[in-house]
Amino acid sequence: MPEIKVTPLGAGQDVGRSCILVSIAGKNVMLDCGMHMGYNDDRRFPDFSYITQNGRLTDFLDCVIISHFHLDHCGALPYFSEMVGYDGPIYMTHPTKAICPILLEDYRKITVDKKGETNFFTSQMIKDCMKKVVAVHLHQTVQVDDELEIKAYYAGHVLGAAMFQIKVGSESAVYTGDYNMTPDRHLGAAWIDKCRPNLLITESTYATTIRDSKRCRERDFLKKVHETVERGGKVLIPVFALGRAQELCILLETFWERMNLKAPIYFSTGLTEKANHYYKLFITWTNQKIRKTFVQRNMFEFKHIKAFDRAFADNPGPMVVFATPGMLHAGQSLQIFRKWAGNEKNMVIMPGYCVQGTVGHKILSGQRKLEMEGRQILEVKMQVEYMSFSAHADAKGIMQLVRQAEPDNVLLVHGEAKKMEFLKQKIEQEFHVNCYMPANGETVTLLTHPNIPVGISLGLLKREMALGLLPDAKRPKLMHGTLIMKDNNFRLVSSEQALKELGLAEHQLRFTCRVHIHDTRKEQETVLRVYSHLKSVLKAHSVQHLPDGSVMVESILIQATAHSEDPGTKVLLVSWTYQDEELGSYLTSLLKKGLPQAPS
Amino acid sequence: MDIECSRLLPSVCAVLVDPKQFVADDTCLEKLLDWFKTVTEAESSLLVLQENPCLTELLFHVVKLQDVNSNILSFTLRLAGIFAAHENSFQYLQQGEVLLSLFSEAGPLSRPAWEDPSVRSGWIQGVGSMVQHERAVQFLCDCGAIDVIFSLQGDPSLFVASTASQLLVHILGFTMHSRRAVPLTTQDCDWPVCARMIVGHIEESLRSGTVPQITQALNVLTTLFGRCHESWTEVLWMRMNPFVGSLLEKEPLLAAHSLVDLFLSMARPQTLRTKAFNILLQPLACVLQAASQPTGSPGLLDESLNDSVITDILLSSKSSCAGLLCQTLAHLEELQPMSHLLIDWPHVPLLSAVMTILRFCSGLATPASSVGDRLCGILIGCFRVQRSALDFLGTLSQGPSPSELIRGVVEILLVYLKSPDSSPTVLKKAFQATLKWLLSLSKTSTSSDLCPQTQHFLRDLFPILQKRLCSPCWEVRDSALEFLTQLTKHWGGRAGFRQALLSSEVPELAEDLLRDPESYVRASAVTAMGQLSSRGLCSNPIGTGSKNDEKKSLFLELLEILSTDSEGFPRRAVIQVFTEWLREGHTDVSKDKEQFVTKVLQVVSCDLDWEVRVQGLELALVFLVQTLGQHETECPYAVEMSSVTQSTQLTESLQMLCHMKLFDFIFSALCDCDRPVARKSCDILLYLKAKLAHHGSLQGSGEACTESLGTQNTAWLETTLRKWKARDQGQPSEVADRGDCQEPDDVLEVLRSVDLEGLRGTLAKSSDHIEKSPQSLLQDMLATVGILEENEADCY
Repeated sequence: MPEIKVTPLGAGQDVGRSCILVSIAGKNVMLDCGMHMGYNDDRRFPDFSYITQNGRLTDFLDCVIISHFHLDHCGALPYFSEMVGYDGPIYMTHPTKAICPILLEDYRKITVDKKGETNFFTSQMIKDCMKKVVAVHLHQTVQVDDELEIKAYYAGHVLGAAMFQIKVGSESAVYTGDYNMTPDRHLGAAWIDKCRPNLLITESTYATTIRDSKRCRERDFLKKVHETVERGGKVLIPVFALGRAQELCILLETFWERMNLKAPIYFSTGLTEKANHYYKLFITWTNQKIRKTFVQRNMFEFKHIKAFDRAFADNPGPMVVFATPGMLHAGQSLQIFRKWAGNEKNMVIMPGYCVQGTVGHKILSGQRKLEMEGRQILEVKMQVEYMSFSAHADAKGIMQLVRQAEPDNVLLVHGEAKKMEFLKQKIEQEFHVNCYMPANGETVTLLTHPNIPVGISLGLLKREMALGLLPDAKRPKLMHGTLIMKDNNFRLVSSEQALKELGLAEHQLRFTCRVHIHDTRKEQETVLRVYSHLKSVLKAHSVQHLPDGSVMVESILIQATAHSEDPGTKVLLVSWTYQDEELGSYLTSLLKKGLPQAPS
Repeated sequence: MDIECSRLLPSVCAVLVDPKQFVADDTCLEKLLDWFKTVTEAESSLLVLQENPCLTELLFHVVKLQDVNSNILSFTLRLAGIFAAHENSFQYLQQGEVLLSLFSEAGPLSRPAWEDPSVRSGWIQGVGSMVQHERAVQFLCDCGAIDVIFSLQGDPSLFVASTASQLLVHILGFTMHSRRAVPLTTQDCDWPVCARMIVGHIEESLRSGTVPQITQALNVLTTLFGRCHESWTEVLWMRMNPFVGSLLEKEPLLAAHSLVDLFLSMARPQTLRTKAFNILLQPLACVLQAASQPTGSPGLLDESLNDSVITDILLSSKSSCAGLLCQTLAHLEELQPMSHLLIDWPHVPLLSAVMTILRFCSGLATPASSVGDRLCGILIGCFRVQRSALDFLGTLSQGPSPSELIRGVVEILLVYLKSPDSSPTVLKKAFQATLKWLLSLSKTSTSSDLCPQTQHFLRDLFPILQKRLCSPCWEVRDSALEFLTQLTKHWGGRAGFRQALLSSEVPELAEDLLRDPESYVRASAVTAMGQLSSRGLCSNPIGTGSKNDEKKSLFLELLEILSTDSEGFPRRAVIQVFTEWLREGHTDVSKDKEQFVTKVLQVVSCDLDWEVRVQGLELALVFLVQTLGQHETECPYAVEMSSVTQSTQLTESLQMLCHMKLFDFIFSALCDCDRPVARKSCDILLYLKAKLAHHGSLQGSGEACTESLGTQNTAWLETTLRKWKARDQGQPSEVADRGDCQEPDDVLEVLRSVDLEGLRGTLAKSSDHIEKSPQSLLQDMLATVGILEENEADCY
């Protein structure tokens, strides 16, 4: 029985780093290759040694698919391809391929800052890895090999994020990666067609949450920034290079324009130009509004947002600064934070999650006295705000996607066990499908019932038409024909065509049966009795008495002979073709009951 | 354990056992265990337990709790294991029977929590840590834990199952190792109890006839024989031999893959090695036969090939054919460096075979048999096999190849480099293989220049390289440039190469790629042009005065990239090229080094990329060393100039360096928020300080200076720099125009005042050394209590 096997190496009942192995009709695919930013050693990467016990990865895996550029989905890729030694194809969308190296470089810098880091990839490795990547377009069916094909669908979430359909023959699975079912400032909502996969592997970050409208969060964010700036304070927004930063930039830019605000907004490390470049390049991946206005004005050419210079941090007066890295790990964002933390007029807004081991984590957990280098204590007087702008589907959105794709089974990843449990029940109740939530290292095996497509010959169809039976979608009907397997596909043809195509001669198959009848009369008379009996019973059929003394009903032939040992018994030889099997057996059973008494 | 941690620990333990509290970050528990491991290895684990009773209490408490969070239970099991690894702590914990209630059948095994894979994982890891002494092994045998490990070998969690198998190997190895002195026979009674149990289990599994069990047993043996070569393993093999033998006699063969792995790990005797090698050669032999090699050429295997299994696999489907060939080629590639150990490494037939495969893949082969026909159909255009074969072909450049075969290699490489069907990854491999062969050819030729064969190759190669430099695919352009750089690096001095290169359009095309839309390609073009220019292979002199006014000099072109390119990669490449030029004394640079360095650093100082700035500092250091000389040696016999002459020279040099604004750059780099930049700057300043101290230039002139001697930090430096800037801006215009931000005295003051040694110590530490300290971890764990609801777990 064909089966689909899924083993998460990461993202099984957690949101650490995604890495899911799928085996479908003998093809092995790795979905995402993420990194966990909370570790400083090899534990940050999935343990790839579990993929094959002894064999080489390249021989085992048919391809790797990356859903989007966030590091928890692609961060381990250069390690996997350049250090662990995977040398096969890697697929991602065009924007992901372009942006991935920027984020990987960004993170590589953080690890260089953390001295003593070993086993981490170099710039050259990132490039070599990216050169192995095959970029795909949305809705383009890509043939990985003769049997395996993949197709990308729009996922929202971040620029270039995609869901992937993986198909081998008639079996298929869809992996959502991270997705968002509601459009935001710069991206549209995820969409997939009714592809009815055997399995839908979906993220479930907000499995139990119905998120408030993003508008509220945006209003809140703007209000806080505005208030701080009005009272002369400075606002620090630590971000990662690309993604959420651009969304917030658009938000502030529009607000500044509308309110005619004068306080400067800065963006560190020259990323505005870069972002500008990529969003321009991949404008088709943004939402409709941006695409429309792009003709008149590029949304990413900001009027109010300028490049940041280190010296600006000491300038008096209000300002807003976007600085990297996003968790106040080190570098510029941390340096600015140190300068501004002591003033209660200032504010830091953390727009995303922070792992343990970062200053971001500390201030979000309410710690206000931080130890700094050189045994100094930094007292945080500035306001600390947390506002998650992460763009994931909420419970409603996930259900909506399941409805849209109509899968046979659902498997939850990228979420917390407790929340998954809740959503699992909901999905099973509402859609009557099985829902799974394997932990990391656990394998889910699904048996599939593959549909095998069969072609039908035109001749056969025409013959049916000639019988006056026009096709009707609402009334399926039975058709007879010969199924032939040729050139790797199945076709239903007429038996004549099958014989012709296969170069075979036709065999005639006749069934024969002996029926003993007690009758002392001569054979001819017995035959006559049979003839008249059948004539009276089988009124709808043609019953003939042939000159050679036999009786014929359609193709069925009946002859009578005397029994060699018992002259009082006649043996009726009944013979019929395969086509008249039904009538033949009916006739035999009829004759076995004996003949009616002849009127004397 | 430091006092502060000891103080925080009880509160943390209280949080852990409180079912109402959550640990917000999933990495915290993991990191906490890391810390305990370090602590117990560094100091007496018993003392840690005794001084921190909260730890033992935690273990007891969790044991008693019925409704415990599975993560906490898992943590506790692992924690207990870490302490139990030390014999005295083990005994201490045993007294309270805490180990028994955690690891015996009365423990979590009988609870619903056992269903959670993280609990089983914690259990097996706990057991794994503890197996460091005999008592632990005895304990495990007595409490039935060994049987649990046996059952966990078949666990649904891959992690648990794999750890269980490895643990059995570890336990077996440990018990046998400690009984080393006793001579061993295959008799059961000779083996220690625990080993007897494990070996018995393996034997039983091998006899079981069920694939999963046989596979588990074989995997244990494979790991064991792979890892441990002690004499007792020979006896073990004697015991296992009949069981494994009977597996081989079964039709159909069960767990074939695992059997192969076992034999590979056992392949110590020469005969077995030869056999294994022959098996590896079979698919290639089959390919050679299919292509009907001309008679007389040596085959791969002595006996003629009639193994239909191999042929069947090769012909059954495209994926199985590609799979088998790739696997074979990869194994052989791994073996090649050890080929001298194999007496009969068939270099020449292997080379023919891999070339035949490459011909099949490109549709060039002329198959003579039906097998060949089929192979041709399967392999044509198969990128996967092409990649593997090209990799192996490159590896085979290391070895003696007859010249007629080399001609064939060259031909096939040119086919792949030329073919419009080659994918970017295949092309990259083709370039790499070509480079390897070219370099190996030049190694064998005795003369200083290239042999005629190589010359000929180059003549054919350059037109192809030209074409590839214009490929619409950036990956291809990049690989072509990388190839050009490497080749120039190795052969830049050889006349034949120079001639072939200069008569082609390659240098011009490479230069055009400096303006490529893809930043990676621009970076590679920069490196290639830098290399060509170093070797005098660039038509364009790098000096500012170009002969042709319309055409910019290479230096200016690179300088423009450095100042305007929006991507980091090309800028990093430029500064690396500049540093290299300065270091090797590139003729055009040497004409006016000062001006060159000034111009470059002016641009670099405002670069946003940290690597550009670090490399800029490297360039500054190269210049300083060239100006001031190497680090002072303490050699007492060194001839010294009079100190007066030296110090005059030094003052002049310092004046010049100030004039070049070199210190502006170095000082501001010391305050850089990016750690590697600050560190590099600190190293340079320490070098300078040592240099100047040697000549007594650092002795302060006033009392103010001595007060602040070596005590200031970067904040002081930042303020000072700002002060100087303001001062200079207030200067009359002619001084400001001169652009000297600092005078030598200012520089000396900084070198005197800033605590550079202290700074170096700090910068040498990880940027997050405070946040990742155990104390910080404990604080974080306590701080997150209760705030989880507010900040729901989130991600990116």
